[in-house]
Amino acid sequence: MNAIEVEKLSRAFNGLQAVDNISFSVASGEIFGFLGHNGAGKTTTIRMLSGQLLPTSGGAQVAGCDVVTEQRRLKPLIGVVSEHQNLYERMSGRENLEFAARLYGQNIRRVDETLEQVALLDRAKDNVRNYSNGMKQRLLIARALLHRPQIIFLDEPTRGLDPVVGREIRRLIQDLSQQGVTIFLTTHYMEEADQLCGRVAFLSEGRIVALDTPNALKVVHGQNSVRVTLDDGESVSISLDDQDAGMQLERLVNDGHVRTLHSAEATLEDVFIQIAGRKLSE
Amino acid sequence: MNLAAVAAITRKDVVDAIRNRYLLTALATPLFLALLFHFLLPGGSSRNLLTVVVHDSGSSSLVAELRNAPHITVVDAASADATESEVEKRKAIGGLVVPVNFDSDVKAGKQPELTIYINNKKSTFEQAAFRQLLDQQIKSLVNYPEPAHLVWIDVDKDPDEKARGGVGLNQMLLPLLLIMTFGMIGALVVPLLLVEEKEKRTLDFLLASPASLNEIVAGKALTGVAYSLLIAGVLLFTNRHLVGNWVLTSLTILVGLVFVVTIGLFMGSLLNNTMQVNTWASSVLLVLLAPSFPSLGLPAAIDTAMRFIPTYYLTEALKLALAGSASPRIWGHLAVVLISTVLAFFAAAWSLRR
Repeated sequence: MNAIEVEKLSRAFNGLQAVDNISFSVASGEIFGFLGHNGAGKTTTIRMLSGQLLPTSGGAQVAGCDVVTEQRRLKPLIGVVSEHQNLYERMSGRENLEFAARLYGQNIRRVDETLEQVALLDRAKDNVRNYSNGMKQRLLIARALLHRPQIIFLDEPTRGLDPVVGREIRRLIQDLSQQGVTIFLTTHYMEEADQLCGRVAFLSEGRIVALDTPNALKVVHGQNSVRVTLDDGESVSISLDDQDAGMQLERLVNDGHVRTLHSAEATLEDVFIQIAGRKLSE
Repeated sequence: MNLAAVAAITRKDVVDAIRNRYLLTALATPLFLALLFHFLLPGGSSRNLLTVVVHDSGSSSLVAELRNAPHITVVDAASADATESEVEKRKAIGGLVVPVNFDSDVKAGKQPELTIYINNKKSTFEQAAFRQLLDQQIKSLVNYPEPAHLVWIDVDKDPDEKARGGVGLNQMLLPLLLIMTFGMIGALVVPLLLVEEKEKRTLDFLLASPASLNEIVAGKALTGVAYSLLIAGVLLFTNRHLVGNWVLTSLTILVGLVFVVTIGLFMGSLLNNTMQVNTWASSVLLVLLAPSFPSLGLPAAIDTAMRFIPTYYLTEALKLALAGSASPRIWGHLAVVLISTVLAFFAAAWSLRR
């Protein structure tokens, strides 16, 4: 059974189409990447799928609940980590989670378990305003995990974090997936999506322009090439999609001036640039 | 309605508001002013008496009158020389040294010397009250004919209104402080509780939680109600001698706080950040407070304009309830406030849905 089923979902704001007729599904336990430029419609989609915003047209089933008519049943089944670090900064980490526990009708004892899961138990009494970015991000994830949701929406969870903390968060996401939690992830980091996601969807101007596994996307849309470095330091790239690629390569090798020769597979970023026309970070 | 979610939001906001210095200041201002007036104004409560030290070797009628005066405690000094030190020791407002044969000398028109000590460590309010009291008592000693016979008639006096011995400053201040409490809650506290959730994006978290928008708003409103009740309760308890009709006063306060909380929700739904709230709060507070200020002889046009402000009717209802009146007029005033609340509620609901 699919955790998320989206059917012709659209949302307009004052005549501007933020999300335009998108359809896709996410399997239970899958890590699904949702990639696009700023303003492509990623956050609007998350807001509709998490019951925060009503669609203009179309619909979706999340955890078996209709996002329009069954919001009350849906919300305890999902967790949302916003792109903003929207914590109560005058409260301690524990108080933030205790508040969430009361909202979700959870036992307060669950708070310490969750804090331990994200390695924040020893800083639980500290004011959140004194937390580092990484700690705040871990607390946000803890808050989303507190009520043991079936599906977690992670909106840019590693943005602005140092590489070490980013790696910790990615490990946490993989652990959750192994526990059967479905992850809906938006990120600007293509390597992250490539590493984590079973499938990714590219969103451009509110529409899904590509959706498949990262490898399949690279095979279909990427240009595999060979990079040849010559004795004089000059570097030549030969696209394997070119008809005469073999001849070009043979000629260079026969000339005897080749110093190194490397295969250069397409990256997810290359695929995105080819499809969306510009880099994701632009 | 998910009452657990409403309670969780209220509980969080009640605690969080105390940690927010800005909100704490707004909440504490009426209490601080009440405390200030309590100590500055004499006769505000039974504990707020004027102590006067006297040395009266001739048992004068002046001292006898002072002993009978309300809010005055008379302490006897052992000697004329001890009067000054006794004033300091007792922290009295002042002292009197009354000579022997004072009464007979007054009657004989001999103008006897009366030595009066004033304690400058006391407030100017208390000093003025003491001077006024002595002035009145001394004039009453002589049967000096008044230049005219003054007949005082209360115009538009409610026939059901209980007789009372004039309105003291504290009786005028209590409605003002209560309206100020409501104003602070309505113009500042409730809007900030809502706006801060928008500004810090924590509203997204709340909207993604099992709490619905109605429950979130109810949680904020309950926080405003809780703080209004707490502060109004403290103000009424500390001024309980001024409350004539507890049932009507409590009812008026309940109607008033529902009105201001609704105004607060409307403001909170319209505004988007703390700076906007700060900008608008002072204007809204001034409008809400204006009708509760004691009459300053304002032009008729302004006086008429005040009647378009719902807190005018709230103030009038409060004054009547505090005076112990059960007049039908009080219900008319409360009806106006309730109608205003319904209008504000629809405006807030429209704005929140938008």
